[in-house]
Amino acid sequence: MKKFVSLMFAATMVLAVACGKGKEAESKEEGEDDQAPQTASAPSTAGSAAPAATAAAAPVSADAATLAGTVKFEGAAPKMAAIQMGADPYCQSQHQTPVQDEEVVVGPAGELANVFVYIKNPPAGNYPAPAAPVTLDQKGCRYYPHVSGIQVGQKLSIKNDDATLHNVHAMPSVNSQFNEGQPVQGMVADKTFDKPEVTPFKIKCDVHGWMKSYMAVMPHPFYAVSAPDGKFTIANLPPGTYTLVAWHEKYGQQEQSITVAPKESKAVSFTFKG
Amino acid sequence: MRTGEAWTGEARTGEAPVLHKDGPNSVKPQEPIPHNYPMPRLNAIFAWSALGLLFATGLMVAYDYVRGWKWFQVEFLRIQQQRIEAELTAAQAAANKDQLKALDEQIDQQTMAIAAHRNQYLIAQKELDRQEGRHYAADEDYRFAKAVLDAKRYEAEAANLQKASDRAAKQREFEAMTKRVNDLQLILQQVTRDRDAAKERVNQWLKKIDDAEAKKKDLNAQIDLLTKQLETVDLKRPNNLLLNLPMLDFISPTLKIDQVVLPDLFVDVNYMHIPRVDRCQTCHRAIDRPGFESKKEAARLSAELQKKLDTYQIAAEKRKDTEARIAQLKRIQDAPEDILNPWRTHPRLDLFVGSASKHPLLEFGCTSCHHGQDRATEFGRAGHVPPNPKMEHRWKGTWNVAHRQWGWEENEFNESPMFPRQYYEAGCIKCHSNQVQVNTETDRRTAPGKVAGDDVTKAMQTVELYGCYACHKISTWRFTDLRKPGPDLTGIAEKTTPEWAVRWISEPHDFRSTTRMPSFFYQRNMIGPYVPAGEKAQNIRNQNAEIHAIVAYLFAKSTHRVWQAPPSAGDAARGKALVESVGCLACHVQSEQIKDEKTGEIRLARRDDYPLERNYGFNFTGVGTKTHPAWIYNWIRNPKAYYSEAPMPSLRLTDQEASDITAYLMSLQKPQFMMKRVDAADPKAVHDLAKGYLLNTMSDVDAEAKLKSMSMNDQLVYLGQRSIEKYGCYSCHNIQGFEGLKPIGTELTIEGSKALHLFDFGFVHKYQHESGKTEEVQHNVPSWIYNKVRSPRVYDDQRAKGYNDKLKMPNFHLSEEEARLITMVVAGMTKDMVASNRVAAMDARNRLIEEGRKRVSQHNCRACHIVDGSGRAIAALISDTNFLPPDLTPEGGRAQSPFLFNFLKDPTTMKIRPWLSVRMPTFHFDDQETNALVAYFANEAKAPMFDTTRVANPPAQNIAIGREVFTMLRCSQCHSTAPVNPENPPVPDIANAQSLAPNLTLARVRLRHEWIPDWIRRPGEMIPSTRMPANFPHDNETGGFKSPLAGAIDTPAFATQKAALLPYFHNDEKELRRTMSDAVALTDYLRDYIWSIGIKEMRPAGEGGVTVTPLPSMPAAPAPKTGALEKAPRPVGAGKALPVGVGQAPPPVPGFRPTK
Repeated sequence: MKKFVSLMFAATMVLAVACGKGKEAESKEEGEDDQAPQTASAPSTAGSAAPAATAAAAPVSADAATLAGTVKFEGAAPKMAAIQMGADPYCQSQHQTPVQDEEVVVGPAGELANVFVYIKNPPAGNYPAPAAPVTLDQKGCRYYPHVSGIQVGQKLSIKNDDATLHNVHAMPSVNSQFNEGQPVQGMVADKTFDKPEVTPFKIKCDVHGWMKSYMAVMPHPFYAVSAPDGKFTIANLPPGTYTLVAWHEKYGQQEQSITVAPKESKAVSFTFKG
Repeated sequence: MRTGEAWTGEARTGEAPVLHKDGPNSVKPQEPIPHNYPMPRLNAIFAWSALGLLFATGLMVAYDYVRGWKWFQVEFLRIQQQRIEAELTAAQAAANKDQLKALDEQIDQQTMAIAAHRNQYLIAQKELDRQEGRHYAADEDYRFAKAVLDAKRYEAEAANLQKASDRAAKQREFEAMTKRVNDLQLILQQVTRDRDAAKERVNQWLKKIDDAEAKKKDLNAQIDLLTKQLETVDLKRPNNLLLNLPMLDFISPTLKIDQVVLPDLFVDVNYMHIPRVDRCQTCHRAIDRPGFESKKEAARLSAELQKKLDTYQIAAEKRKDTEARIAQLKRIQDAPEDILNPWRTHPRLDLFVGSASKHPLLEFGCTSCHHGQDRATEFGRAGHVPPNPKMEHRWKGTWNVAHRQWGWEENEFNESPMFPRQYYEAGCIKCHSNQVQVNTETDRRTAPGKVAGDDVTKAMQTVELYGCYACHKISTWRFTDLRKPGPDLTGIAEKTTPEWAVRWISEPHDFRSTTRMPSFFYQRNMIGPYVPAGEKAQNIRNQNAEIHAIVAYLFAKSTHRVWQAPPSAGDAARGKALVESVGCLACHVQSEQIKDEKTGEIRLARRDDYPLERNYGFNFTGVGTKTHPAWIYNWIRNPKAYYSEAPMPSLRLTDQEASDITAYLMSLQKPQFMMKRVDAADPKAVHDLAKGYLLNTMSDVDAEAKLKSMSMNDQLVYLGQRSIEKYGCYSCHNIQGFEGLKPIGTELTIEGSKALHLFDFGFVHKYQHESGKTEEVQHNVPSWIYNKVRSPRVYDDQRAKGYNDKLKMPNFHLSEEEARLITMVVAGMTKDMVASNRVAAMDARNRLIEEGRKRVSQHNCRACHIVDGSGRAIAALISDTNFLPPDLTPEGGRAQSPFLFNFLKDPTTMKIRPWLSVRMPTFHFDDQETNALVAYFANEAKAPMFDTTRVANPPAQNIAIGREVFTMLRCSQCHSTAPVNPENPPVPDIANAQSLAPNLTLARVRLRHEWIPDWIRRPGEMIPSTRMPANFPHDNETGGFKSPLAGAIDTPAFATQKAALLPYFHNDEKELRRTMSDAVALTDYLRDYIWSIGIKEMRPAGEGGVTVTPLPSMPAAPAPKTGALEKAPRPVGAGKALPVGVGQAPPPVPGFRPTK
């Protein structure tokens, strides 16, 4: 009996050792079932890179630079058609002279308005949404502004200043679409977007086919829209090298790489060809 | 030592008495017992063998103890432990330390306070003890007395009944006892009050401590739970160690085989059905546990849940849980390592395996879908099948966990190995073969990308589209009662020329790269790399002879109706515009050239460049070369006139439109096709092949004699008939003389259950596919099928077969994906029996729905419409969503059945969206088919087919209120309310940017009464991206709807309306305001108003607006003439090529001459 017990003990020990070895092997084990193990380490490196993006919010540093740029248009500016507002007498009554389409707005010296400019690779940091809302106004059956940006989580106030029905049909591809009617003058609808969508999407009114606006949802505050004089400003930019993107609803997008030094006021320019 | 001496019984018995001679008290030393063998050695042998046996037993125990599955369980426990420990650390870190500290302080303070007033506390405690004692005594007295009372009552009752002498005494005793019990009860009540008061006094001291302890417990609940969980998963804990010790692990081990018994989904073990016992979870530990998803699945799932949250599809009370789940999934995505199989959670727990899903683990198990050996617990024996050769190679390596090698061996005797990964969905077919669309419950609007089940649905649709069922009988509901996939050939001579037909049959893909007509001739086993040169030349001659023979037969048997020529020449440019706008391109593609999305190069189009729906009709390329204007003109006017079962509907083209389209289609020429070299049939080949057939029934001499008596053309026609029989052309096409023949191919109804050894793999392991890719044939059924459909003649490689014995299955030139889908269906069709309660869609309602869906698929409705959330192939061609055909997903709940019936029969009865240039075609549905569709829509929406709401007459007051609301919401800005002719309402001025919305006077006959208000409230949920705005947006706080009129009714802009409305609310402003903020009430009023302005009747269905052209006249039997083939440029000699039709226009039309 004694022998048996001791043998049993020995067997258990052997097993325990075997199991222990098994454990070692387990901990080494990695690799997707689909792939050979050697190539499977990629996801883990990707995972470890993630926390870097969630570093603490960068306060506006004293070194912050400012980008002041202009957008130019080269070539003959296309003539924009006059909008026929005859379908809705109210809209027509709001304008003494015919209204031009806003697709391409070029100034006298070839300044291009309504170009959305943003930093593609923002400096690391958290950018909480500003408390002040972005407003989108419907007035005289047009959208004001025609192109705009909003931060993720920032409130968008859509206002109808017209005594006619507008519907606000936002057509983002990443965020949720919405389509709300605003039959009453002075109505305000509040919306937020919860995911970044840096390429501007269309917001349209199905009642008035000519009404279009574009909006981008940004994960950071480094963006601007060129004014009628073609100028735009991006402030509070920490020094560094960035890719600057300019987007136009008709002429697509352009990129350029810029480096800003501390406290620099950097001039940049984009040129779209017609 | 008496080694070597033989042991005998006598020797022993002889000596025995000697031992006892001197009696028991003898002190004489005992003589050693004499042995015939050496004892010490024997002892040693016994000892060693005992040790050996013990060792063997030990080995057996060890062998029994160390099992592969245990390793997987141990590993899973490690993963769990790791995770729980991480969560525990997180929970401890997150624990509100300040609060806990405050609570501890509270407890300490109170303890101090008690200590400070120890005397008072002790007095109170003593008093409580005394009161407790009194209470106990009083309670006992009362209970005893009550028991005695019951006895006394019985005694009194018994005495009374028996009229006993002492009954008066007994009665008195009973009454006295009753009084005593009442007194005791009063005492008890008093004592209880005293006791409670004393308790309260003590509690004043203890309450604070108790409260703090309870709060602490709440705060630590999560940590406690995790600690408890940790105890169960940590194998190093003594109790877990003990329970899993060898020899002890029979009691209650924590490592054990898990199984689920499934009596409904039996295993067929020949002559007997036994319950399925699935043990897969023994290793696949987390299969039904959320939280062990792969990163990919976690990303998909969190996106889906987020979308559901965003679109209000999750009940308010479940939002919190959903958010917690999303957070968990985010943690999985952020974790450094991905969880690997077999420890992953099954994807889509909402559909599979999850207890709340349609296929819970306890009811469906695993092998009922995946196949495999249900009771096995070892990797190889379970029937895992590697999806590709690379993985097979890896699996086969000796067990090495780090390299994920499992020591896998192929098991040929496993009757149902698992489906390899790319064919997982084959398992669905067993129970879902009664369905057209496998999964309609998942909301496509919230599920990003492909929905589970889409692959099976598409696979079955692919099998339907390619017409596999035509040659291979498939006796499931899905693939029976379908039309022949190929066009009718009984009138081929009216449509095209023999010259064209010969070239077409030789290689259809040369004419159209996207055609579904497969290539029968000049395939791999005829001219491929393994065919000897001499045989190859003969094969080419034979194939060419067969092609000519088939064409000769078809044209000889064809009818010769004469079709009326287009009345005017037509304008090709206008025709092109029409083709692009009226909807032809929903089913047809008009070009063979396509710009490659990846390389940007222009290349030949493939079928999979387009959605299945757009492959439904043929590609227009070269149609002008194939046929002639008269045929096109009449065909597009009314396809049913040419062929009564033509799948093409009529678009109600006017004479001019039809002429224009004819002109355009005739302009699509492909002259180079007609210049393709074609040899004339080699007379010897024709003769030999024909003789081969004749020899089956007659002698050599008779056959020769018979052939001599036949002209060359007769021989061709005879050989043609035999060849059509051989290749089974009649399975897909209507051909005169082949009516009612059985399909040519193997029946596929239970092909998936066919044993592996019944598949002829030939000598093929690896081969070069026609695309240039090297394919490997794995030794399993799905791989065989895949390569069969990809390269149908490949198993003839290096085989020595006679000409007529070679494989005949034609080459469809399937893409890898198409082949995968078709393989999925074929492999999934098994003989497995399933209890009827497990088969999908078997109830009456679902049968009606599926019948309808089958028609939707047959008539290709999805080419234009979204049905059940998917479809609308035409959307790729129409950029402005205003001009797309309607989304029919909510149609059943939307349209009244009588309207739908009328409209489907004859779309000219109502023009709902007159601005659309795409036309709803007239399909010439018969009544039965129309009913099937109407029943489908209604049942799908769970709406009654017929109801009485149509005649509802809303009260005048509702109408009046509705009219005001209608004005205030400015509905008329888009919707006209002017009466119109439903058959031809005015087309709004599109150029003037007028918004396009249906005329509301047509709503009453068309829309369901209850649907109108629902639609007004939530249009975007019913049809995403509809232009109808949500006038009553969701209110996140209440879960209801917000009304834009809630505050606005008091604004000066609506003063008139307010004045008009007030009388209807008894001039009660409060009531008016309440109603104006009630979205449900407002939309009901709107509906009542819309109802009141609607027309009440529509025209019954007529001919569907198709002008019935007079039937073409049958000319007198065409004069016998030499066949067109012989008329065509005659080849100079066999084997010598001569381009046919060089510099010649195709023969004039109409009136093709048949070969005779």
